[in-house]
Amino acid sequence: MALAQRIGRSRHRLILLVLTAITLLTLDLRSFGPLDSAQRFVRDLLHPVTEVAGTVFSPFSDAWNAVFDYDDLEAQNAVLRDELDALRGDQIRAEAERLAFQRLLDATDITYLEDVPFETATVVRGAVGNFDSDVITIDKGSNSGIRSGMAVVTGAGLVGRVDRVDVTTATVQLISDSNLVVGVRLVDTDEVGLGQAEPGREGLFKIDQGLDWPEDDDLSLLPAPGTVVVTAAASRYPAEIPIGWVTVAEQAVDGLSLEVTVQLSNDVSDLGFVTVLLAEGIDQVPLEEPVPGPIVTPAVEPDPAEVESEDG
Amino acid sequence: MSTPVKLAAIYLIAIIFQLTVFIDVRLAGVAPELLALVAVIAGFFAGPERGPMIGFVAGLIWDVYLPTPLGVAAVTFALVAFAVGSLEEGLFHDSRFQLVAVVGLASASTVVGYALIGELVGQRGLVDVEMLRVSLVVGVVNGALTPVAAPMMRWALVAGEAR
Repeated sequence: MALAQRIGRSRHRLILLVLTAITLLTLDLRSFGPLDSAQRFVRDLLHPVTEVAGTVFSPFSDAWNAVFDYDDLEAQNAVLRDELDALRGDQIRAEAERLAFQRLLDATDITYLEDVPFETATVVRGAVGNFDSDVITIDKGSNSGIRSGMAVVTGAGLVGRVDRVDVTTATVQLISDSNLVVGVRLVDTDEVGLGQAEPGREGLFKIDQGLDWPEDDDLSLLPAPGTVVVTAAASRYPAEIPIGWVTVAEQAVDGLSLEVTVQLSNDVSDLGFVTVLLAEGIDQVPLEEPVPGPIVTPAVEPDPAEVESEDG
Repeated sequence: MSTPVKLAAIYLIAIIFQLTVFIDVRLAGVAPELLALVAVIAGFFAGPERGPMIGFVAGLIWDVYLPTPLGVAAVTFALVAFAVGSLEEGLFHDSRFQLVAVVGLASASTVVGYALIGELVGQRGLVDVEMLRVSLVVGVVNGALTPVAAPMMRWALVAGEAR
C-alpha cells in the first residue's frame, strides 16, 4: 500500500515537472523577455567563475591536446587560416565588384566592412555540448554594443549571426548550422533566394527557395559554376557579404524551381577571431514555406469606348 | 551542510567542468555529459520521487548553455532519472557493476531523448547516425566517471535520504 502511494506520488511529481518543462519551452520559443533575462543572469553570474576555472584547468586541457602535438599546430593553423580567409575574401570581393560594375549598378564595391561600424572579437570557445558544433562563443557582449541578430564575418565572408548576448560574451550561430536561413544574391544573374547549410555536408550551402528554373529549359540561363554568392540587400544582414561560389545548379524535385549548391568561402570549423557588424539584424526567417499572398489580378485599363457607352 | 547546499555544490562543479575542461578534453570528439550523469545517479540513489527533481534542475542549468530551447534537457533528465529510480527500486540490488551499467545505459538514453525532444520542438539535424555515436561514447565515458560521481551524490543525499 505504502509502495503504491509512493509510486503514485512520484508520478504526480513527474507530471508536474513535465508540465513545467512544457511551459518553459513555450515561453522560451516565444522569446519571453523575463526568461531570457533570467538565463542571461545565470550565464553572467557564472562567467567569472568559469573564466577562472578555465585558466586553472587550461594546463590539463593543454596536456591532453599536447598528446597529439596539437598546441603549436593550433596556433600556426589559426594564423594561416586567417591569412587564407583574407585572401579568399579579397578574391570574391574583387569578382563581385567587377561584375557589378559591368552591370552599371551603383553598388559596385563590396564595402561591408567600411560602411558599417564593427567590433572585433576573439573566439573563446566552440561547442559546449555534443549537439552544438555550429555555435561559438565570443568575448564581446552587450557592453560592446553587440545585439542579437547582428552579422558576424571574417575576411572570407559571413560566419553567422549573433544569437544569445550576455554582458561580456555572446554566442554566434554559425552559417554551417542548417537552421540558419540566409537571404542571398547570385552576383552573376542578380537573382535572390533563401538558403541554408546542407546538413551532414560540411562546407556546402543550398539555395532552395526563391529561384526559378529557366523557362523553356534554357540551360544557358543557369548560374555558371563559380558564380559568386553574396548576402542580398533584402536579407537581415548588410548586403554584399561574401557567402561563397556556385558549384552545382540543378532542377528541384518540383520541376519548377532551381536549387543551387554553394561552396562556402569561409571555413568556420576553426575560427580564432571574428568581426561583428554593429548593424541590427532582424529575426530568423522562418523555414516554412512562405504563406501565399492574396491573388492580385492585373490592373486593366478600362476601354474608353466602353466607358463612354455606359455613361451615355 | 544541508542537502540542497550540497546539491548546489555538485551542480556547480559539474557545470564548471563541463564548460572548461570538457570543451577541449573529448573522447572521439565527444564530451561527457556531466549534468546528465548527475541526473542519472540522482535517480539511482534518490529514487523516483526526488531523483527526477534533481535531474530536472541539472537539465535546466545545462539548458541555459545549450542552443535548444529551455526545458529540453530538463524534461529529458527528469524522465530518465524517473526511469532509473523506478527500475532501481524494483529490480536492482546495490552493486558497483550494476551502477556503472545503469549509468552508462541511462546516460546514452539522455542523449537520444534530448535529440528526439529537440527535434520535436523544431531543432533540425539532431537525430542522425551521429546521435548514436555520441550516445554510445557518452554512455561509456559517463559509466567510467561513475566511481567518482557516485560517492559525491551519496554525500549530497546522506542528510535527506537514509538508504
